[in-house]
Amino acid sequence: MSKAPDLRVMLGPIELRHPVIDASGTFDVLEATARYERDFLTDFPFAAYVPKTVTREPRPGNPPPRVAETPSGMINAIGLANPGVAAALADLPRLAPLRAPVIVSVGGTTVEDYVAVVDAYEAALAAAAAGAAPNVVGYELNVSCPNVRSGCLSIGTDAHETEQLVAAVRPRTRRFLVTKLTPNVTDVVAIGRAALAAGSDGLSLINTLKAMVLDPATLTPLLGNRTGGLCGPAIKPLALRMVSELAEALDAPIIGMGGVISGRDVLEFIACGATAVAVGAANFTAIDAPDRIVAELRAEMRQRGLAKLSEVRGRALDRRPPAVTGS
Amino acid sequence: MADVAGPASAHPQAKAAVHSCRVAAVRHYGPFACVTVVGPQLAAAAEPGQFVMIQVPDSRFLLRRPLSIFAVRDDEVTFLIEARGAGSARLTGTRAGDILSVQGPLGNGFPLAGVRRALLIGGGIGVAPLQFLADRLAAAGVGVTAAFGFRDARQARLAAAFHIEHLWLATEDGSAGRRGTVIDLVGAIGAAKNTVLFACGPDAMLAAVQRWAAERSLRGHASLEAHMACGTGSCHGCVVPTTSGYQRVCAEGPVLPLQEIVYE
Repeated sequence: MSKAPDLRVMLGPIELRHPVIDASGTFDVLEATARYERDFLTDFPFAAYVPKTVTREPRPGNPPPRVAETPSGMINAIGLANPGVAAALADLPRLAPLRAPVIVSVGGTTVEDYVAVVDAYEAALAAAAAGAAPNVVGYELNVSCPNVRSGCLSIGTDAHETEQLVAAVRPRTRRFLVTKLTPNVTDVVAIGRAALAAGSDGLSLINTLKAMVLDPATLTPLLGNRTGGLCGPAIKPLALRMVSELAEALDAPIIGMGGVISGRDVLEFIACGATAVAVGAANFTAIDAPDRIVAELRAEMRQRGLAKLSEVRGRALDRRPPAVTGS
Repeated sequence: MADVAGPASAHPQAKAAVHSCRVAAVRHYGPFACVTVVGPQLAAAAEPGQFVMIQVPDSRFLLRRPLSIFAVRDDEVTFLIEARGAGSARLTGTRAGDILSVQGPLGNGFPLAGVRRALLIGGGIGVAPLQFLADRLAAAGVGVTAAFGFRDARQARLAAAFHIEHLWLATEDGSAGRRGTVIDLVGAIGAAKNTVLFACGPDAMLAAVQRWAAERSLRGHASLEAHMACGTGSCHGCVVPTTSGYQRVCAEGPVLPLQEIVYE
């Protein structure tokens, strides 16, 4: 029997103990720890924590209903409901015990909104006493939420606007900068290229697909927002295609996501060029889903005789990308 | 009279976990099923008004279904399920011996401190949390009256699953109990000044109960249901409008003060 497989990956300069992280907005470590016997802060299942998207001002979110199950997936239109950056910063000390690096997800409707949130975090982190804040290693710029009426998605569907946003945020922080891309575009590579040109260190994709479900009784839109974002296993093949297109064309670490519910799914995203892989809707299927997924990944690697994930990274691509991700 | 211990009193609420539970019995009442599982830890932790997230034992269904806790007896916990969609229909088809994955108990539960007289009002599947509540109240010596409304006699067969001494029934078509809505029924029963209302049912019923209670200056609590994804407070998918903005049914609820819920 070969020795235990090594699941570690390097996401740019960030060492992750395994490739599985959470997709923003699908797992709240403080809420989960408040309700469950398990202390998720000290027994954290993911290799990094991406909290729910933070905006400059509080947002109440969209009218209900906000979620519904669909064949092999679900649709949601939360609308970036969050208490705003001031409240998020007030919670930072509560996240201090977290045994994982944090990548802060930032949203907004204007370039100034994104800059204000990043500035507020930088100031708070610089002022925080040792041990009074979690290990914030980076930011994820959410330019891909399909459920807010202005900004956000309209930035992420336009290469020029994406480039301007990233260029404005880049000088405000030395931390790792990820741009989260939307699948609701004709050419995802053009948007990703613009983000990297403006200084984004990495890319994450896919956010949800803009979609609609009807109330079968009334034949009118079920969600209060009329449309929502589709996620879950139904979108995985599309996500794999988009991740591979980016990996073939661009040289940057990628966080792949979209319908990951098993260890094999994680391996498939890595074969398509991803360095890390985010779990979203699966977090709703069971509170311990990430533990199962990581255990399955380890078992898959052992079964396939893989010592390291770099052995499969890019295997599904037309051309293998340069070794940007270590491990 | 002693107050009833509950989540509103100072005693700390037991926390949730993932439980693998064997189905001990399934009883059918018209379109409803009572599914009883063996879950000693869950039974010990649960408070009236709390809920669980239960996995549909079929990989076609992604999301768990939120279910109120209907009753707790020794090591057994019972859930009441109505076959409404494909997922809940599958759950009503559960058989004794099946294993179900149950996450819970979750949510806040009914505040019971200071309750001396209670009127329980349920409509349709909304009666689900009221047996557990009635048991806890009766054990503390609280006077309990229940008023249930159903569409018709077929739905009203569910009343046979209940053990509440003063239980009154109404059906919309008059095929069982009194003809009319549950509001007509509580109007006939009436409520003394210090009565606390506990209501669960469709929005239209809760809105009517809210008006009825306000007119009589009666205090009350409503247990709500919503389309839910995580059940843990993470996703903000299950909100309802209240006088203090959107509240998450899974986290701030499922029980909210009756007068704070906003109905259009």
